[in-house]
Amino acid sequence: MEEEEEAVPVRTLLANRHISPEMSSCFLDEEKFRQCCQLFLEHSDSLSDGWRWESVKDSHEGYLRKTALGTSRRRSNPDQISEREQQQTSSDPHQEKTSLSLQNNNDGIDDGALCCLREGSSGVVIQYEYHILYSNSYQTPVLYFRASTLDGKSLSLEDVWDSVHSNYRQRLQNGPWDTITQQEHPLLGQSFFVLHPCRTEEFMRPVMQAALEADRQVNYVVTWLSVVGPVVGLDVPLSYCTQVPAVPHCTFNSLHPAAVETSPD
Amino acid sequence: MSENAESPTETQKGDVTTPQQTTEESGTADEKKKIDVLLKAVGDTPIMKTKKWSVEKGRTVQSLSQFIARFLKMEPNEQLFIYVNQSFSPSPDQEVGVLFECFGSDGKLVLHYCKSQAWG
Repeated sequence: MEEEEEAVPVRTLLANRHISPEMSSCFLDEEKFRQCCQLFLEHSDSLSDGWRWESVKDSHEGYLRKTALGTSRRRSNPDQISEREQQQTSSDPHQEKTSLSLQNNNDGIDDGALCCLREGSSGVVIQYEYHILYSNSYQTPVLYFRASTLDGKSLSLEDVWDSVHSNYRQRLQNGPWDTITQQEHPLLGQSFFVLHPCRTEEFMRPVMQAALEADRQVNYVVTWLSVVGPVVGLDVPLSYCTQVPAVPHCTFNSLHPAAVETSPD
Repeated sequence: MSENAESPTETQKGDVTTPQQTTEESGTADEKKKIDVLLKAVGDTPIMKTKKWSVEKGRTVQSLSQFIARFLKMEPNEQLFIYVNQSFSPSPDQEVGVLFECFGSDGKLVLHYCKSQAWG
């Protein structure tokens, strides 16, 4: 058996779970993605959170989909934001809810949801459609979304950049083009906004490594969505983070695929 | 941002306050409205000299995040990521008091933070 540069617990973990050492760090294969999505969906159903799995005709491919309503969050003055946050108390009546889960089984718009939007929230009602796809090239999930007003007017890319959560706006303004762009949906061929996946591995790494070291498992999709969702107004209730089971074998070694040598089983 | 005076070698408990708050009450009523947060750096992210903070329950993750970012003197092209239980990121709008109720242990909420130039 080759001596590998891994901690003993990791090797035991791999051996016990028959994971090939070629599996790379902090990445996700498509099968694990689907398993994560399945568990994610079960929890969504229990909350009526509105996520659905959409299959592509004549293909084994699919994606998670959800629609939600929000209000436009146009921020023209960054100073206004920081001032508001400084005045924040435990119940801030001026705090806007940026997205609202639709409680419906028909994938239509629930008119009842409209009256739940807070009084005092300024701006136009926006309908969001979120898709979670698997990217083969990045080996991570990717978040695609569309946004339009209720009368069907699509938001522009600039509108979307303007509506990014204030927690991320400064970083986005420093490099909007490597954050949110507009691309053709890989499965539907339509124009969608996409949160670029090129650095997903970096923000997933602390979680995956901690899980590895503690011999614990995570649900990659839940963790990933908890990071990216709020950027674009997608709320991920806390219960996802506690209730959705991890996927067995969804832990990875800490070696980059290029550095891993194949070892005899 | 007012802070307690700290010695360079000790880890002391600090208060995360807003500039508008000029007086720091130490009565029991005020103490109950705060929770203890322990901040832990991940990877190469700089370690904060003061790790333990007393934070108002109603404070949001975003507010705390901004505080840490200022403390670490982060650049505009850097993003701070916060993790709970090293397993997920809380929404920036989430109140720390709620996180404490759900995930606190031994009287404190442990949050890991990671600085990155990454986004996406």
